[in-house]
This record gives sequence, C-alpha cells and structure tokens, in this order.
Amino acid sequence: MFSTKMSKAMLGAVLGTVLLVTGCGGGSGAGTADSGKTATAPAAGKKVINIGLKADPPSMDPSISTSLYDRQVYASLYDKLFDIDAQGKIVPMLAESYEVTPDGKTYTLKLKQGVKFHDGTDFDADAVKFNFDRNISGEKSRRKGELKFVESVSVVDKSTVKIQLKEPFAPFLSVLTDRSGIIVSPKAVKEHGEQYLNHPVGTGPFTFVEQVKGDHVTLKKNENYWNGAVKVDEVNYKVFTNGTAKVQNLRSGTLDIIDDTPVKEIPVVKGDTNLQLIAESGMGFQGIYLNNSRPPFDNKFLRQAVDRAIEREAVVKVLYNGYAAPARTAFTKGNLAYNEQLNTPTAPNADEIKDLLAKGGKPGGFDFKLYIATSPENEQLGAVLQSMLKQYNINMTLEKLEYGQLIETGDKGEFDALQLGWSGRQDPDQNLHDFVVTGTSNNNGRISIPKLDELVVAARGEMDEAKRKALYDEAAKLLQDEAGYVYLYHQYVLIGMNKKVTGFNYVPDGLIRTATLDKQ
Amino acid sequence: MMFVVRRLLLTIPILLLVSIMTFSLIHMIPGDPARVILGQEATPEAYQALRTELGLDQPIVVQYFSWLGKVLQGDLGISITDRVPVSELIMQRLPATVELTIGTFLVAILIAFPAGILAAVRRGTWVDYTSTFTALGGMSIPSFWLAMMMIIFFAVNNQWLPASGYVPFLENPTQNLLAMILPCLATGLRESAVLMRMLRSSLLDVVSMDFIRTAKAKGLNEARTILGHALRNAMVPVVTTSGLMIAGLLGGLVITESIFSIPGFGRLIVESVFKRDYVTVQGAILVSAVLVVMVNLAVDMLYAVIDPRIKAGKGAGE
Repeated sequence: MFSTKMSKAMLGAVLGTVLLVTGCGGGSGAGTADSGKTATAPAAGKKVINIGLKADPPSMDPSISTSLYDRQVYASLYDKLFDIDAQGKIVPMLAESYEVTPDGKTYTLKLKQGVKFHDGTDFDADAVKFNFDRNISGEKSRRKGELKFVESVSVVDKSTVKIQLKEPFAPFLSVLTDRSGIIVSPKAVKEHGEQYLNHPVGTGPFTFVEQVKGDHVTLKKNENYWNGAVKVDEVNYKVFTNGTAKVQNLRSGTLDIIDDTPVKEIPVVKGDTNLQLIAESGMGFQGIYLNNSRPPFDNKFLRQAVDRAIEREAVVKVLYNGYAAPARTAFTKGNLAYNEQLNTPTAPNADEIKDLLAKGGKPGGFDFKLYIATSPENEQLGAVLQSMLKQYNINMTLEKLEYGQLIETGDKGEFDALQLGWSGRQDPDQNLHDFVVTGTSNNNGRISIPKLDELVVAARGEMDEAKRKALYDEAAKLLQDEAGYVYLYHQYVLIGMNKKVTGFNYVPDGLIRTATLDKQ
Repeated sequence: MMFVVRRLLLTIPILLLVSIMTFSLIHMIPGDPARVILGQEATPEAYQALRTELGLDQPIVVQYFSWLGKVLQGDLGISITDRVPVSELIMQRLPATVELTIGTFLVAILIAFPAGILAAVRRGTWVDYTSTFTALGGMSIPSFWLAMMMIIFFAVNNQWLPASGYVPFLENPTQNLLAMILPCLATGLRESAVLMRMLRSSLLDVVSMDFIRTAKAKGLNEARTILGHALRNAMVPVVTTSGLMIAGLLGGLVITESIFSIPGFGRLIVESVFKRDYVTVQGAILVSAVLVVMVNLAVDMLYAVIDPRIKAGKGAGE
C-alpha cells in the first residue's frame, strides 16, 4: 500500500517542515535590530557594558510601566525632571530649579536649555506638558494614581512650566524623581502611538537599539548627551532568571554588573578578586502583613505579641549575614522621616510576651498561618520566624504561594499573615500612606486607625520639613504600638560588579546609572 | 498517502481538545493577569481599567470563542503582558529551542550508540558494567546541577566557552555554535543515558535471535553482523524513545534555557504562565501540540523505512 520510497519522501517532507521553522525563525529572531552586533562578540576597541537583570523588563514606556526592571533600563534611556543623590536627597536633573508657593499648590519649574531628544527634537516646556497630559489622561497610563493631585500643567515660556495642584502634596517632587518625571519625545509618541514602547526615545545617555523580549535590551551611546560625555559605547541589559547562573556569568566576564546578588552567592562574589560587591542600605522594607480585620489578629495584644517575639537582629544575622538592617518602621537612614530610636529593635522579653498573650485571651498560645513567596530565602525566613514564635507557644504554619497568587490573596484579605514588603521610594509618604491608611491600595492588612489616618494625611499636605518629621514620628510610634504591620528588616542593595568597571555612584534606589560608567 | 492525510485530519480534533484543556486549566489558576502586571502598584481603578482593556471582564466562553475565531484566521492574538503579536514571540523563541533539541539529540545519539552497542555486544564484561553504571549515573544526576558545574569549569575557571547567551545562527554562526556546546552537552549527557539503555536492551533481544546465529554460522564477522543486521532490527524501540524524547524536549528544556539564559520556547511557556499571559500560553501550547504531532508522524513513517515489515498505518501503533 505504501512503498518504502514513498515513506522516505513523506518523511523528508515532514522533517523538512520542522527545519524550515528553524531557518525562518533564525532570520527574524533578531527583533527590531539596528545593527547585527551582539554583546558577546563586540567589535574591536568598542567599550561594552553588560548588565544582568533578574527579570525581563516588560515595557520601555514609563507611562505604562509597573515593573522594577524597567526602571534599570530607564536609567540609561531617559532623564527625569529630578533625581536622587547618594544621600537620598532630591536634586535637579532636567528641571534646573524650581519654586513653590507657600501654600504648596503651585510649582514653577525652570527647565534645562539646549537639551535634545535622541530623535533630534528639542526638550522644552511643551514636551513636559505633553508628558504630564499623557500620564494624567492617557487611556493606558498607570501614573494616574500618583498624579491625581495635579489640576493643570501650563507652559509659561519655552523653558518654564507651571504645575497647579488641587491641594498641597509634599511628596510631589519625589514623584517626579521616578517614572512620572521621565520626559519622552512627543514626536516619537505621536509617530508610533501604541507601539511607542518598541521605539522609545528619551534624552538619556544611551539610545535604544533593540529589545528581544525575555533575552536582552541593547542601547548605544548618545553622542550628544547634555550632561557630560558618555564614555561607554554600548550597554546591554541581559535577563538571567537563575540567580546562580547570573553570578557565574559575572565571574566569567560575560556580565560586568549584576542588579542584585542572591544572599548565598555573596561569599562567591566577595571571594573573587576580579569582582567587587556594593552593599548598601536601600530604601525599602520587608515585613509581615497581619490581617487586622479578622481573628486572631483583630486583637491588638496578639499582634503585639508576634511583633515583640521576633528577634530582628538574629533574623538579619542568620538570613543575611549582616547584609540587611533590622527594621521597626518603614523608614531607612537618609529618609526625611527616619527615626533611629524608633527603628532600633529591642530584644524580646519573655515576660512581656506572656503578659500580652494573657491580655489577648490566649495565655496558652495560639495558631495562625503565614503565606510566603516561593523563593529559598523566603522559606528560610519562614522557618526562622516559626522557631522564634514557637518558644511562646505561638504555632505558625507556613504556606508557599506563587507571586501572582500571593498578591491576589493579599488584595482579597484572605489571610492571617502574609509576607510582603516594598521596594521603597524617596519620600516617606510613598512608603507609608498607601500601606496603613484606611482603604488604601496596599493596605492588605486592613489597618484602620483613625488617629493614624489623620497624622499620615496631615503629613502629606505639610510643606514644612520639621513639622512633617514630627508628624511621621508620631505616626510611626502609633503604628508600632498598634503593631498593625510587623516590620522586619530593610533590604540592602547588593550590586555585583567587575573591578574593571569604574565611575559607579551608589544611589539608594538601587538603579545603575550608566552615564558616568567607564570600563578598563 | 491516505495514512498521512488521515493522521493530519485527526490533528484537528486533537488541537481543539488541547486548546480547550489549556484554556480551562490556566483560567483555574488563582491570580489574574491584571493583578500580576500591576503588582504592588495596583489601585482599584487601574486594576479595573486594565481588566477591561485586556478583555478579561468578558465571560470565559466568550473569551475562548473570540480567541478561537482569530486563530482560525491565522491570528494567534496579542500577548497580554508584552503587547506584541504572539506569533512574533513564538517565532523569536522557537528557533533556539529547536536548535537545542537537535543538538541535544545529536549528543545523545553520538554517545548512546557506541556505548549501547558495546554494552550489548560485550555483555557481562567490564565494558558493559562501566557503560551501564555511567548510564545510571547520567540518569540520576540532575541536569541543572551538571549544567552549573560545566559553566564553572568551562567558562569561569577556564575561559574556554561562553557561560550563557544565544545568538541566532544566521547572525553569527560561530558564536551560535560555541554557545550551544555547553547546554547541549549538559542535557544531552542525561538523555544519552536513556537512549543507551534502550538500545542495549533492544540489541540484546535481537542478538539472541535465530537469524543472527545463522549469520554467524555463515562466517560473517561480528562488526558486520551487528552493524549490518542486528542494529537495524533493534531500532524500532529506540526510534520510539527518541520520538518521545524530542517531543518532550521542546517544552522540557526550560531549565537548561534558564541556566544558560537562552531565550527559548520552554521558558516562554513557563514565564507566560507565571505572568498569567493567557493568550501567549494558548498560542504557544497550540504550536507545541502541532510540533509534537508532526514528530510523532515522522516517527511512525520512520518505522516503515527501517522495518519494511511494518507498513505505515498498520502495526505502527495503530
């Protein structure tokens, strides 16, 4: 019925189709390539810096971006109206200077002159207004929440912009040091519309060449950068989902910088004479959401018992070998609201805890479940906390949830306790308001303390720094007494780098600012 | 001819079933794409707006048929998280995995054949025991550990090979092949163990058959006996195993792809599941199903080529 010759012919056809897939795809696999250059084989004499990222940056459009990893690439592609310095203070960038009226509602920004976008168009007040309008009313914009107090933006002259707020909002400038302050080329947006994210144009030290999703983003030197000559010819951001492989690639020279070093790889990096580790305090915090709205943690004394029973110094030592800082508030050193005394942990006192348990009606201890993420570090954290609480007959069971599920469980409030932190922002309000004020988006623990709401909202509108600090001190103390959220530690920024890379300046947001980098 | 046509027609209900199952399964996972995309920066307004934008507020059945309708017109849809056509994503990621699969398979054969033949022919001797022991070791060692050890040895301590990365073949063939060596070796070593054992046992069966004794009696030397007569008869189980292996590698290379940072197809599927990118998962699994069907078809036709007693469509697993 079916001769051997026929079979062979058919077989050839089938196999041929499969190989055709490889051949076709191989050609188009380069994405929107500009040049065929690859990072692993640079042309002679070209300085290339390869940066390893933990995850794929999804979007080159700051208006819709929500991922931390986008921000690393933005540090090369874009500039912002304001930036942060090594001490965590706000400094001018594209906005040369600013004035704000005493009532805190009107900001006048004077813009840097002579700056051009990568496509040659001018950076000016019209461009700034365009970006604000896009962020505030753009259909897909994710910046609406942080800009909700902006009433209007107007062009005064080519280099002056006036921003009118609905009410005083002290964190406003801080918001402009992040994605909302990034200015993209209006011409590029008008030209590409929805596809802008695949053709980003900014004013930054590097221009966009190509992005292959899940693999890399390639940028090349901006020859006309306004803020000093760029010394490196090309920057590649490469995705390494496996932390150990990322570190090995740093050691082998395939990568020059990595965005984050897993704790267990720290000795490997430190032990390699070609590498250096930048280990500094970041701006964020990690801790445990307690569900204030249902038993057992609707009971203040039981919350306090858990909060007081944890020995934070030991957690930091055991899990991080000292590469983290114990925390009892949301604020790290350098933050306006930082309070050293409030943030210093105290050793657990067995009598105090027994007393709290008794007051809470559970003198024999109680049970609850903690949801944690799936990483090995999280598992370890869970185990350490479990053993600390066990001493007081507080039996904590652990359950691992994948990240998407963890977020959803937190949102829905279907938990006793849930481990989630925050990467941290420059302004105290951005690390507190949406986490503890009644009904806010990150207040998974359903904390609702009227006096706390009052203090935090007042601090948001208070323009005087000293008065603001006083309000935050009071708020932090109140939150601590109520143990609404259990702060555990402030994570460090752990950037691994080849010693050949010079010119790196550490900033507490953990972003790698490539404008000043050079390579030997 | 009819055989092939019939098999190709059967593919359609298979694909339909696969797509329905995938759709149901992925929608059963808690946590929706809008929430995962927005992460901790989600305000209720942003969340609702995104859900509407992504069409997630429609009933599931409507979502499925709307997807199916587009597929029938050749449109696999737009990735929820990356906002690029799914077909483009797949075409970008498939070549690397296909190349890895081919490379892994080649490594597996190049090791398994000599080892398996020697082991069968010198059964009971130290050659046999060594090969079998190594095979057992190979199957037991986790491939990700082996991969990591190879990176440390070949790329870090001695800078002989690249530790990671992928360059499309047509862009830079040398770099492409260099980067493929370690991943193919790491995965291939393990797969070769499976093939080797299959080949050995199949050969042992054949070698004890009458016609082999006849050949020996006729004075044929050992090499010609084995290679000329026994091997071909022993191939059917090996081909079956290979077919299954290749089909499995298309999705199963995800760990190798993660460690060597290769933008492959397996990773695409796994990462899309984590991101709840339903559209990409659907499209990718559909493509994967098509490829698996094709590989199975090729295997079935290969039987007819190897063993003329098997007429394709009869006695080839039908």
